[in-house]
Amino acid sequence: MTMIDTTSYTLISEAIKTEAKRILTDGTVTAVVGYAAARRKGSVQPIVITTPEDADKLLFSKGAVNNLAVYLTKAKKEIPKTGRIGIVVKGCDLKALVGLMGESQLKRENLYLIGIPCSGVLGSIIQPDTELTEDTIAPKCLECDVHMPTGCDFIPQGAPITPELEKKYAAEIARLEALTPAERWSYWKEQFSKCIKCYACRQVCPFCFCEQCLCDRNKPQMVESTPRPAGNFAWHVIRAMHLAGRCAGCAECERVCPMDIPLNLLNRKMAKELKELYDHEAGLEINEKGPLSMFNEKDDQSFIK
Amino acid sequence: MHPEKQKHDFEPKIIAFVCTWCTYAGADLAGTSRMQYPSNVRVLKFPCTGRIDPVFILKAFQQGADGVLVSGCHPGDCHYIAGNFHARRRFATFRKLLEFVGVDLQRLQFSWVSAAEGGKWVEMVTDLTERVRGMGPMVEFKELAMEEQWSGAINTEELKEAYEAI
Ligand code: SF4
Ligand code: SF4
Ligand code: FES
Repeated sequence: MTMIDTTSYTLISEAIKTEAKRILTDGTVTAVVGYAAARRKGSVQPIVITTPEDADKLLFSKGAVNNLAVYLTKAKKEIPKTGRIGIVVKGCDLKALVGLMGESQLKRENLYLIGIPCSGVLGSIIQPDTELTEDTIAPKCLECDVHMPTGCDFIPQGAPITPELEKKYAAEIARLEALTPAERWSYWKEQFSKCIKCYACRQVCPFCFCEQCLCDRNKPQMVESTPRPAGNFAWHVIRAMHLAGRCAGCAECERVCPMDIPLNLLNRKMAKELKELYDHEAGLEINEKGPLSMFNEKDDQSFIK
Repeated sequence: MHPEKQKHDFEPKIIAFVCTWCTYAGADLAGTSRMQYPSNVRVLKFPCTGRIDPVFILKAFQQGADGVLVSGCHPGDCHYIAGNFHARRRFATFRKLLEFVGVDLQRLQFSWVSAAEGGKWVEMVTDLTERVRGMGPMVEFKELAMEEQWSGAINTEELKEAYEAI
């Protein structure tokens, strides 16, 4: 079993503390969103600090799985009033922020980005004290191409160590693609039937910021709201469609799902298709328009008669 | 004189989402020119293909459609200039998603039919109706709609007991 070296996280934690203290003291920012130790050994929880004294609480470890960008979308209206905000971001979280800036939800000048040279985080925090190995690492980290975030205001010293490991999403997508439509239908039917419509996936997603979700509307009701197989199916298809070309791949939806539905598989599949169709990758640069809000006159139309 | 009407065992329900400026006018032309086409199609008129949300297609299948046709102005002819270009991307993406979750794309047809193409409208509707007739009813969504299910299976002794006790 391949172990992943995370010793650099200790130094990174120190650097975050020092930097947070500095920017809070000299007034660069009014708050810093980061990670702090939680109650169980090894576990980590999000924290918002506003005083330099609290900077010592900040850290980064293999348990720092949360995508903190969600705190900025849900609190975005407060940002101009409270001044600049510092935020600790991994590469995948940064992708979400870049997407949100493109969608005019956030402004770069209102943020102070503390980037993390990240070697990976745990897939599940049920046992936060486990070693980071090829089995316990989050599958998204195996497919990550932004271990070293770029364009941040501050990045601690340290080089991410990332051994080549099997790409689980890519392998699973390939497996499903090779099945017949009927087999795929029964696979997803079973998966979606598990859904209890708790909407944790929507709540945690930085991109699900609509004031009123289409799936909550009842006049007309497009998606049945009860957790029955039919309504679940529609919810999942619409969710995947509304995130196509926007999803940053942080896999938070999949992590928070209490029913273990492989949500990010759908997201990755859509990302792959949009790359093939329109050569688009989400989160790499600030684009005003996503692939589904623009067009090219020469787009493929071989499927239209 | 009407041609002899053939009897079939299965009459598919086809829902057509069309834009009012081109395809709807095309279908109108087919009508006023007294062209014959299957009456299986139910036409729903929209201002533009850009207004046809993928969720409508899903809803149509869920409500019992066996086939769906989406049709609008040819590229460059959209009344709102670019509605159909946007729609084209959206539908290309949505098709991929439906395919991935196991929907047979043979039941879903996209086309460009202009106001002058009454004949093409007839051809589109006839083709899709006959193809879907050959495939039989779309049972997947109907089964799904009929199903009541507990989240997860009642697969342990404990759960079974609890279930019996209700
Ligand atoms: S859909 Fe899931 S993986 Fe994508 S940005 Fe939202 S929470 Fe992250
Ligand atoms: S988090 Fe899981 S169970 Fe909850 S609504 Fe999303 S997919 Fe369904
Ligand atoms: S008006 Fe016909 S497609 Fe836009």
